[in-house]
Amino acid sequence: MDALSYFATSWVSPELFGLTALGTFLGIYIGAIPGLSVTMAVSILISFTFSWDVNNALCLMVGVYMGGVYGGSRTAILLNIPGAPSAIATALDGYPLAQKGLAGEAIGLSTVMSVIGGFVGIIVLALAAPTVSKFAITFQPRDYMMLGILGITLVGSLSGGSLAKGIFAGALGLLVGTVGLDPMTAQERFTFGDVNLWNGINPVAVMIGMFGVGEALHQLHYMDKTVVKQKINRILPKLSDLKKYLPLSLQSSLLGVIIGALPGTGGDIAALMAYDHAKRITKNPKVPFGEGAKEGLIAPESANNAAVGGAYIPMLTLGIPGDAVTAVFIGALFIHGLNPGPLLLTEQPHMFWFTVGNLTLSNIFVLIFGLTGIKIFSKIVECPKGILIPIIFLLSIVGSYAINNSIVDIWWMLAFGILGYFMRLYRFPVGPVILGVILSSLTDQNWRRAILSERGDLGPFFAHIFTSPLSTVLFLAIVWIFFTQTPIWTKMLKPRLFRKKSST
Amino acid sequence: MSSPSLRKPGEVVFSLLLVVFSLFVFWQAYKIAGFSSMSSAGAFPMAASFAMLLSSCFIFVKTLRTPKAQGMRFFYHCLPPVVAFIMAIILIYAVLLNSVGFTLTSFAFLFICIQTLHRRSPFYTFALSLITLIVVYIVFRLIFQVVLPEGIVPEDRVIAVIKSLWS
Amino acid sequence: MKKTVLTLLTALSLSSTASFAAYPDKDIQGIIQWGAGGSTDTVMRSIAPHVEKLLGTDIILTNKTGGVGAIATKYVYAKRADGYTLLMGAENPQMYKVLGLGKIDYSDMIPIDILARGTPIIVANSNAPYNNMEEFLDYLHNHPDQVKIGSTGKGGMTSLVLAMLKSQTKMNYISIPYNGDGPALTAIQSGAIDVMPAVLGAAIEQVKAGRMKVIGLIDNEPNKLLPNIKPVTDTLPGMKKYLPWGPFFGVFVKKGTPKVAVEKLQTAFHKAALNPDFIKLMDKRGYSILNISGKKARNFLDSYRSTSSWLAYEGGVAKISPAKFGIPKP
Repeated sequence: MDALSYFATSWVSPELFGLTALGTFLGIYIGAIPGLSVTMAVSILISFTFSWDVNNALCLMVGVYMGGVYGGSRTAILLNIPGAPSAIATALDGYPLAQKGLAGEAIGLSTVMSVIGGFVGIIVLALAAPTVSKFAITFQPRDYMMLGILGITLVGSLSGGSLAKGIFAGALGLLVGTVGLDPMTAQERFTFGDVNLWNGINPVAVMIGMFGVGEALHQLHYMDKTVVKQKINRILPKLSDLKKYLPLSLQSSLLGVIIGALPGTGGDIAALMAYDHAKRITKNPKVPFGEGAKEGLIAPESANNAAVGGAYIPMLTLGIPGDAVTAVFIGALFIHGLNPGPLLLTEQPHMFWFTVGNLTLSNIFVLIFGLTGIKIFSKIVECPKGILIPIIFLLSIVGSYAINNSIVDIWWMLAFGILGYFMRLYRFPVGPVILGVILSSLTDQNWRRAILSERGDLGPFFAHIFTSPLSTVLFLAIVWIFFTQTPIWTKMLKPRLFRKKSST
Repeated sequence: MSSPSLRKPGEVVFSLLLVVFSLFVFWQAYKIAGFSSMSSAGAFPMAASFAMLLSSCFIFVKTLRTPKAQGMRFFYHCLPPVVAFIMAIILIYAVLLNSVGFTLTSFAFLFICIQTLHRRSPFYTFALSLITLIVVYIVFRLIFQVVLPEGIVPEDRVIAVIKSLWS
Repeated sequence: MKKTVLTLLTALSLSSTASFAAYPDKDIQGIIQWGAGGSTDTVMRSIAPHVEKLLGTDIILTNKTGGVGAIATKYVYAKRADGYTLLMGAENPQMYKVLGLGKIDYSDMIPIDILARGTPIIVANSNAPYNNMEEFLDYLHNHPDQVKIGSTGKGGMTSLVLAMLKSQTKMNYISIPYNGDGPALTAIQSGAIDVMPAVLGAAIEQVKAGRMKVIGLIDNEPNKLLPNIKPVTDTLPGMKKYLPWGPFFGVFVKKGTPKVAVEKLQTAFHKAALNPDFIKLMDKRGYSILNISGKKARNFLDSYRSTSSWLAYEGGVAKISPAKFGIPKP
């Protein structure tokens, strides 16, 4: 009974109700602007809400978080510029839909699926938090490493026409991700002695460059083309569509919760993995992936919002952040006089249900604000290109500066923008580059930690994989995906081997 | 759009540049730690750059084999003057941003770009650039407190004066 | 319109003839060396609102990460010395010179306030077969190259604590580096590492919940948050010469900042650090409040620099001798 009253705290107080609504609304638009990150918004809110009551502050921040994760999909669909790394996978099929004049439907569908994902995340948080956190903490370096490798095999599904070009792009991304002072040994990697490179190249700068500037430069070719008129009469997705895609959405959501709950992985990896999952299980999509398949929109959107609930699990039960935003939340709780940690739930039992209630409320607001603003938002695409493109350039530049208040990030953004332009021109996929950047440090560091733990011996390293059920499952998953799903095997090796067999 | 099976002008050079670049980073990756150990700082970069090298060589050979697209010129179909011009403008903007300051450079940038791409009366462009800039400034500088490069305009003083008028 | 133009003009003329008696007459920028959500960030964001009230101006806090804080340090040093750009940092710059990370350290800055110091402790997985320093060192001697000790990069707090211990006794272990104490403390709970040095504040909640245990206190006197733990000097008396020692948080301005501005900032930060809310927060996180400035702060900084630099050099972490920069031996 107590739980219910704590759950309802933010629903019955008009003040908290209003703040959650405001936070969610702001979050959607913060998330939509590339370069304005939820992490940044929440840390500014810490100073802003310093003197407030802790509940008020949390309502606003939770709203911004929930709304922000969803908001990234807006610009991804409309402009092919993901508002945040977790919306990269959304752009792959969302933007082609907008080009067909279906932006309204795409946004409507992504909103509903985000909300479903959000609810799955919240339900798992509410019902299974202790179990999931116990599971999440058993992940060893080798498991993280295998998770990274599993992610890298995604290059296959992101590379479109030419696998070789996809592999090149993915490897380039992995390489870009290693630039800077090695966080493990402090050795310089590809820094050429320049201090500005020590912190590496920011993934968001790469993303804004490749997707934002690269795309906008490419658009200059089609200046004289009339803009696509958007059909906005249908916003609510068809009931038959919802029914059809619900299983996929639920699967992606569960994937999202688990990836979100793991400390060190978040919505970005969850969304990309869900995209890959969708591509693998959808045998005959109505529209091919990459050209506006609804499956390719639904899976990442469900997964990244489900990851929000997931990220809260280790934070509330163990005091360990599930992602960058929850790390800032932990700081905020400290400042407001709470002790986030494994004891939080015994010392402040109301915090748990209050947060669950608040997330639920915020998720409902995502649905409301997500479905109401579409008409005006879709108009952005109809704005004359001569005005829109310069504004995209300006936002890309300011956005990449805002990541770390550094001019150097602008330079990287521009360099990757120009590279992205030529890559597009010569039909290289740009998705794998970002994938590589995101997964690089996860794979690199955990690979080395795993090897160091075995004192550099590969033998015990492989032997130990089979002593843990979790590692065994991950290992078998990699082997299975590699041999059945990646084009390396199915398109390149398999036919050759079989041909050889038949000729001898 | 041309058919994907044809080679665009500049494609050979681009894929050759990728091979050269891959070679360079592979050498750089080797320099980090050589083949010292599986867990060295250089192991992963070396693996990544080796994959780049292999795939770029493959791409290069494949590109050479594809037939050339007829009637396509690099500076018309691949890098039209307008794209090159905008790239140059963005580069100049990024160079000047820190020393001249955000407000002035961004205004000039917006004005020139919109005027080139949209071709309306300068007054219209002027007003549009100004409004855009003000919105961006309010969102980033005032709400999100991103301190944009000030350059030669003493923005902080202006803000302080406006604030004092307020109170 | 005319009025705005006039005010703008006044503003422009003001900027050229600004007198420092009026300090502060515009927003102050606070550059935080570490990222959002980190301990430096938390401390600075919790003191800034109190200071804002006392100074009557806004402090715009900006995280500028990179190069173990060297990017932020360089940035503040490149700005005008007018008291409008504050460096909010941790102990790291004191090691830049010997680690070859930069030419500027806190001796090139004026300390406004050294707010607090953290106490290093050594934590272990709750199932580890040792409960105090003596047992741990015994176990380590009997099981060479088996214990996995987590660290957080070269020149960081953990590597210096290990260098201190190594200067006293022989240690053979597997070192597993992490990028930050957060991930490393998680790894201790999952059993990926067995032991690691950490700051008391970062581990205290996990310790209270029994998810890991404290086996050593790197201090020369007991800590009230850990009543059952003996200070390390009881086991290794040789450690006395290094202690008390620990990472700290401070606010700095560039050398050459006008005296009026420095004094105003010092008073404001000093008062703000006496605020009961701030004190409560620091106590709970296990930080010892120092709240020192001027000569006291300078002595503290110098002593930290000489202890750490020589430790790092003699422990092989740093390649450049501190003597080269005139850093005296402790």
